[in-house]
Amino acid sequence: MNRRRGSSEVGIAAPIKVLIQRFAFLFFVFAAFGIMLLSKAETVVFDKISTVVVDIFSPLLGALSEPAATVSIAVNRVHELANLREENLLLKRENERLLVWKEAATRLAATNQSLQTLLNFKPEPDLRSITTRVIANSGGAFVRSVVVNAGESEGVRKGQAAVSGAGLAGRVALAGYQSARVLLITDINSRVPVLIGERRDRAILAGDNSVMPRLTFLPVNATVKLGDGVVTSGHGGVFPPGLQVGKIAEGPEGDIRVRPAVALERLEFIRLIDSITKTRTDFKVIDRAHPIRVPSK
Amino acid sequence: MTSTLSHRLDAIARKFIPAAMGVFFVLISTVPFYIPGFGTVSPNFVLIAVFFWAIHRVELISSVTVFFIGLLLDILVGSPPGINAAVLVLVRTLSAMQSRVFRGKSFLVLWWGFSLVAFCVGFVTWGLNAIYTMTLMDPLPIIFQMIMTVTVFPFLAWGFAKMHQKLFQIA
Repeated sequence: MNRRRGSSEVGIAAPIKVLIQRFAFLFFVFAAFGIMLLSKAETVVFDKISTVVVDIFSPLLGALSEPAATVSIAVNRVHELANLREENLLLKRENERLLVWKEAATRLAATNQSLQTLLNFKPEPDLRSITTRVIANSGGAFVRSVVVNAGESEGVRKGQAAVSGAGLAGRVALAGYQSARVLLITDINSRVPVLIGERRDRAILAGDNSVMPRLTFLPVNATVKLGDGVVTSGHGGVFPPGLQVGKIAEGPEGDIRVRPAVALERLEFIRLIDSITKTRTDFKVIDRAHPIRVPSK
Repeated sequence: MTSTLSHRLDAIARKFIPAAMGVFFVLISTVPFYIPGFGTVSPNFVLIAVFFWAIHRVELISSVTVFFIGLLLDILVGSPPGINAAVLVLVRTLSAMQSRVFRGKSFLVLWWGFSLVAFCVGFVTWGLNAIYTMTLMDPLPIIFQMIMTVTVFPFLAWGFAKMHQKLFQIA
């Protein structure tokens, strides 16, 4: 009797267990699709959630990214040592050239200043900048964004331009309390109003997840040459005007594209800048880039 | 007394190691390596972990765990939320259903099976992303990512196998 009861239990319990397991699997697949759909409709809520999650994990991400950064710096050191002589020579030559330019620039700045006074020109507001360290890359094949280790507590806000050394890298897409996500200019969702070359033709720089973003809304009569410089136009008020973006280059299919001035794959430090600040007293520079220990020698 | 405690600790460790490892691999997937081009082709470590454990100890990684690991990956990477969650839950269940094909077979069979799974995952991810963004994206990055993933599979699988042996005292 006992045995029979045991066997009947197995007979019923096992299929139920399988059913629940199968149901759980289906449930989670549907839940995932539901989240996908909802995230399309309720972007604000999902942005909030993802900001909080990234915030929670940002100390861990920061700790994990430090060894990688240290190794990278050490490798760079060795590389630099190897090329010391050549680089020194190049730099000396460049320095001579730049001194001439500096002379010219000072002269031009003075002229510009006096002309601006004549015209009663309203100067650009001061820019505030926050230096941050990249703590997470997007490992995905379909996103081009990075997470940095500064958030609203340091004055980071959505929409700030992200600059790295040579030029524009992207803009802040989401700002958490102690972390922020920077959408790179190569991402498929990135649109940057730009000016091209000396003729200052207007266009929109549109990312498409490839290494070189496209130019859209280029005027029909625009004359764009390979090697022309591309700078932000400041239209729309998101990016400060005049930031270097890159140079016109030929795409893989012979189309017009822009080669970014910044090496976006190896971003280590990013400066986030406000395009608009209210008062001059607001000016401050925050440095959130941890001093990374470099192995001596 | 202490033996029961250590026994219980062992049991807890067994229960949570796969989930903790899942979270760890999610974090590793986002570490910036500063190698040009690596950001776009970093291997999908999480996929390897889910596949391996679904084949060998599916009871350790429940659908819930896999779902949340996938969601975490989506959020930290910044991809549309839900895509990795859906794909990983599918991989877990389908691999578990086929686990008999792979268990006890040579490693090459497992590797071959994984490469099939990886390319299906690549295709599905690409499709879901295309639907989500309503644009046909360049499939090259995902192809490279999957090739990378299949390449690093033996190393990770070897580590997992060692861990599996240790945890479950398989001779």
